[in-house]
Amino acid sequence: MASAGSGDEKAAAAAMITLISSDNEKFEVTEATATLSQTIRHMIEDGCTDGGVPLPNVTSKILARVIEYCKKHATAAAGEEGSSSSFSDAAFLEVDRAFLEELEEFDDAFLEVDRATLFDLILAANYLDIKGLLNLTCQKVADSVKGKTPEQIREMYNIVNDLTPEEEAEIRRETQWAFE
Amino acid sequence: MDPPQPAALMEELVEEVLVRIPPDDPASLVRAALVCKRWCLLISGASFRRRFRELHPTPPMLGFLYERYSGVDFVQTSSFRPPHAFREDWRMLDARHGRVLVMDVGSFSPMDTEFIVWDPVTDGLQKLPILEFHPSSWSAALLCTTAGCDHLNCRGGPFLVVVVVTDVFGQRRTSAYTYSSEQGAWSEPITVQHHNDCILRLHRALVGNALYFNYELNTRILEYDLVRRELSIINLPSKFHGWHIVLMEAEDGRLGFATIQESKMSVWSRESGPDGYAGWAQQRVIELDKLQPVSDCNLPVSPDVWAIAYPPYVVAVADSVSVIFMWTDGGLFTIDLKSNQFKRIGEFISNFGVVPYTSFCTPALSVASMGDERPTTDASSA
Repeated sequence: MASAGSGDEKAAAAAMITLISSDNEKFEVTEATATLSQTIRHMIEDGCTDGGVPLPNVTSKILARVIEYCKKHATAAAGEEGSSSSFSDAAFLEVDRAFLEELEEFDDAFLEVDRATLFDLILAANYLDIKGLLNLTCQKVADSVKGKTPEQIREMYNIVNDLTPEEEAEIRRETQWAFE
Repeated sequence: MDPPQPAALMEELVEEVLVRIPPDDPASLVRAALVCKRWCLLISGASFRRRFRELHPTPPMLGFLYERYSGVDFVQTSSFRPPHAFREDWRMLDARHGRVLVMDVGSFSPMDTEFIVWDPVTDGLQKLPILEFHPSSWSAALLCTTAGCDHLNCRGGPFLVVVVVTDVFGQRRTSAYTYSSEQGAWSEPITVQHHNDCILRLHRALVGNALYFNYELNTRILEYDLVRRELSIINLPSKFHGWHIVLMEAEDGRLGFATIQESKMSVWSRESGPDGYAGWAQQRVIELDKLQPVSDCNLPVSPDVWAIAYPPYVVAVADSVSVIFMWTDGGLFTIDLKSNQFKRIGEFISNFGVVPYTSFCTPALSVASMGDERPTTDASSA
């Protein structure tokens, strides 16, 4: 993943940011990719990115995935800006649609991870303030709750039931329709 | 010892997850509230409801009311089901802003009509004072009148009921009665003259500050201006005469209607031209022959009420969610105008028998408000 100093040096010199994971691995990314994170955007604006951005809450394994997401979506954002000019013919719309479909496929594949990784991605998305990634990953967990009983949800997410039997009975009485 | 990872996440970000439970799946939200005390308090809280509505800007369609000879049924199109899904002796009239207007024909005498405002989510009922009129050709509408309300959570606030009725003999005059919950009484009627015609019971729309009702011959529409409290007649162009149309708020926010002519479903909206002349423009055309249903709910909607027109025709419009109900030879279908999704709902259903119901339904459980000063009914749902 770490690809310091490679390739296109003209563009890179001005707009590359180094991210440092909790296990001290360095990742060099474009500013466009990094600024999908509001947290990093603010750091860049404040001029505190010299010598790299330490991210003590994110492991290299998760950071690599986050960067993968940001790269893909930064390209998408750039593509959108390009096509929002005065051109409005069908060809452009067609390209847009194909691109959106590709992005959707990417997101679906991106979410094919185990639960622990998914949760780490949520924590990272929250810490780095990446709205799209937070939405994507939280939606995945929300969808997993659909149709499940309270017992199944507790089991899935390791949650201890601290409602008293009386409280539980009262809730079930008030919302009987949801359990039929 | 540190809690395992998943539990840690759920502590910190559980709200981020739970607000993303789809609004048309309130049962999942209720079951999540039973997971533990923290989730219960969170889901029942006012800040959760506020965030939920920010993330989901439009109240979902929870179901529709459907009329049988014996009463009114709530047919669910979401995971929500009201505590009492079937109501004997009711006739349905309107549903808007989270509430339903019905009349009780159990206590019905020819001249005295009892109206009831029902909230299917809280199951709250409010009976209105008896209104004396001859219910032969008439319609009624219900709306929230809270000042500045965005109508996303107006449940429990003040409301207005408007009843329009034509004269029994001759039917050349329509009168409007209004009931304001704040005043607790029916107004004196106001009237407008027109050619001989009858009002259709379940054909009404709220657009801007006016209610619209349709007449049977489809040559004119009745407008009730809610601000000026005036009635007026809008004449329809002759090409629409004899069509079966269902009034709606069009996507451009103007008065519109949906109709099916020669296997094409079209949506029209009323335009203002120069010199105040208003024409009608066709906004959308959907060729029904080319549609393939994406799903079949196959709900048991039985043929209790006879239809008054030959299919296919538009039965009802849920304009806040841009869904059109139509009856074809194959049963009852919906078209979502935003996604173009075409769904089969079920078997035969009556012409005048569908009133879509849209509302948020986030539980406010009394367990969560124990020791809380607020009355629990205050936040019973959203």
